[in-house]
Amino acid sequence: MLQAQSLSRTFGTLTAVDDVSFHVRPGRMTGFVGANGAGKTTTMRMLMGVLAPSSGSVTWNGSPVGAEDRRDFGYMPEERGLYPRMKLAEQLSYFARLHGFSRKGALSRADELLGFFGLEERRDDLLDNLSLGNQQRVQIAAALIHRPTALVLDEPFSGLDPLAVDAMVDLLQREAADVPVLFSSHQLELVERLCDDLVILSGGRVVAAGSVDELRSESEERYRVVLNGQDAAWLRDLRDVRVDDVDGSTALLTLDGLEAADLTRTVVERGPVLEVARVRQPLSEIFREVTR
Amino acid sequence: MSTPPTTGPAAGRGMWRVVAEREVSTQVRSKAFLIQSGLLLVGLIGMVVLYTFLGDREQTSTVGVVDEISATAVDEASAIARSTDDNAVLEATRYDDVAAAEDAVLAGDVDAALLPAASGEGYELVGEDGVSPTITQSVTAAVSQLVTTANAAEQDVDLAALVSGADVGQRLLDPDADDANLRQAASFIFVLLFYVTALTFGLTIAGSVTQEKESRVVEILAASVPIRALLWGKIAGASVLAIGQTVVLALAGVIGLVATGNLDALGVIGPAIGWYVVFFVLGFVTLASLWSVAGALASRQQDLGGATAPLQILLFAPYLIAVTAGEGVRTVVSMLPVVSTMLMPARLAEGDVPAWQLAVAIVVTLLAAVLFVRLGARVYENNLLRTGNRISFREAWARRSPADA
Repeated sequence: MLQAQSLSRTFGTLTAVDDVSFHVRPGRMTGFVGANGAGKTTTMRMLMGVLAPSSGSVTWNGSPVGAEDRRDFGYMPEERGLYPRMKLAEQLSYFARLHGFSRKGALSRADELLGFFGLEERRDDLLDNLSLGNQQRVQIAAALIHRPTALVLDEPFSGLDPLAVDAMVDLLQREAADVPVLFSSHQLELVERLCDDLVILSGGRVVAAGSVDELRSESEERYRVVLNGQDAAWLRDLRDVRVDDVDGSTALLTLDGLEAADLTRTVVERGPVLEVARVRQPLSEIFREVTR
Repeated sequence: MSTPPTTGPAAGRGMWRVVAEREVSTQVRSKAFLIQSGLLLVGLIGMVVLYTFLGDREQTSTVGVVDEISATAVDEASAIARSTDDNAVLEATRYDDVAAAEDAVLAGDVDAALLPAASGEGYELVGEDGVSPTITQSVTAAVSQLVTTANAAEQDVDLAALVSGADVGQRLLDPDADDANLRQAASFIFVLLFYVTALTFGLTIAGSVTQEKESRVVEILAASVPIRALLWGKIAGASVLAIGQTVVLALAGVIGLVATGNLDALGVIGPAIGWYVVFFVLGFVTLASLWSVAGALASRQQDLGGATAPLQILLFAPYLIAVTAGEGVRTVVSMLPVVSTMLMPARLAEGDVPAWQLAVAIVVTLLAAVLFVRLGARVYENNLLRTGNRISFREAWARRSPADA
């Protein structure tokens, strides 16, 4: 488990990251969301040790993370970084060798990952000659090349089309199914689809952290009631319920003390009902709520 | 499945070798490196060839003769001529009669003709409109010697007794002065070669560091290996290339001198070539870490000129001193680090250098190398991950505090 403990970082008078604590559990995809300038990249750089924290610490499986531990992590920096004038296979195998792979092992590992993205034909092309999407695939391959013990990925999906995102997620699930994975993203729908856990950052502070389900249940329970033709306006008279919206026979309401089972019973007693359903709150709404 | 990575304490170690390997393999395939090496090689071989043609070409003069005695006289004259001019050779060409020999002179087939004098007594040198002093002097001396010996035998005179005490010997106070041109040329080549090699490879190191910063790959590298391993790898890689190139050039010079038959020249500057390689290794490694630092101070290729300026001056100063300074100044500064790489081989090429001065130069350079590499490592580690504007030297030196990194 990778853990940030009270990480803070100041640049001059600016506090970019302020007392940030969270953990990234193995085998779980943890989404790291926040507005631009919320401190995601700064936090990730501190996790990777390329930036020293002003205070706080990072622990790995319970003890302070060492340089040796960190070398086994996989990292995809925000500002992508590879050698522009180096051939793909050569480049990837170089990174593998920096992690202690043998020359032969490094090359076959490089080919394996290139093959996964269908880039085996282009193994001897220079990175510069690839499309941006393909460059990003190589970048993620560079992060995975040494079978990392943890992954820290800064905006790994930005600029990718949906198919490319799916391919990358497949690869992550295959290569890093049982390690802690932290990835930042602006695409909340994507985070919602992929993530098990969530850390929401705002103004350098953690405003929410936990599993996506936990975060949802912490927020209020909303239900949609659809009656069979009748006007739903009478629902406003119910006690311990706040009706947010009524549109003909459909009402959107929030339980304010009433049990969900009681709501269903009451509605059914009044007449024919088409639907009483819990509304899954979209992540974007949770995000807006906690960062407000 | 491929081999899993070795983890544990050994994983970070020895990685500088992988870094160095990449530096070397990238460079040896780069056009700039190949072109630069090729030009230096061609230039050096060109100089050897030029030296051979200009300095060592034999000046053969031909002299027409019609009898055996004259032919012998010309052979003797050739030996006499050689004693005054290393490259002078006289050759006799036989003709059937005086008329044929004169025709050959007029036609320019021979430079002169040695013929029995028309008066019947003695010989005469026949030229078209003049006879070169070398031919005149040497042939006259040879004929006079031959005839004197013959006459002495005829008259039963002891020639040895006759000329006893008339020998004029030679005692040379500075026998090497003859090679002055060669020595000066060699010394100039050493200075120039180090300047060119140190500058190009230095800029290559700095450029490769800046390129890693600019392309941000340095973040991945820094997360993968200790920053010091990156520095060592860069220094080692560039040193291997620069030293390799120097050894190839030195060998080319030696082979060139041997192939063109300049064995005596090799004897004169051979030791200096050997010392050049030794001082090159020391001088280059001393500077290599500083070039990496210069690269780490620049964030973009455009900043590289400013960041490397102090080093370019550091190299150019000894170059100027080497070319212009007087004897005393040269002797003193030739024992300073970096300067010694240019000046010591140059001084060795020009003449003897006391052993203690060589020892002082080597020890001082070694100390400087250790010092520079340590300082360089600190500044490199401090600045490699800084981005933004070019970093001032004062900022770079300060320990990276969390507040301003």
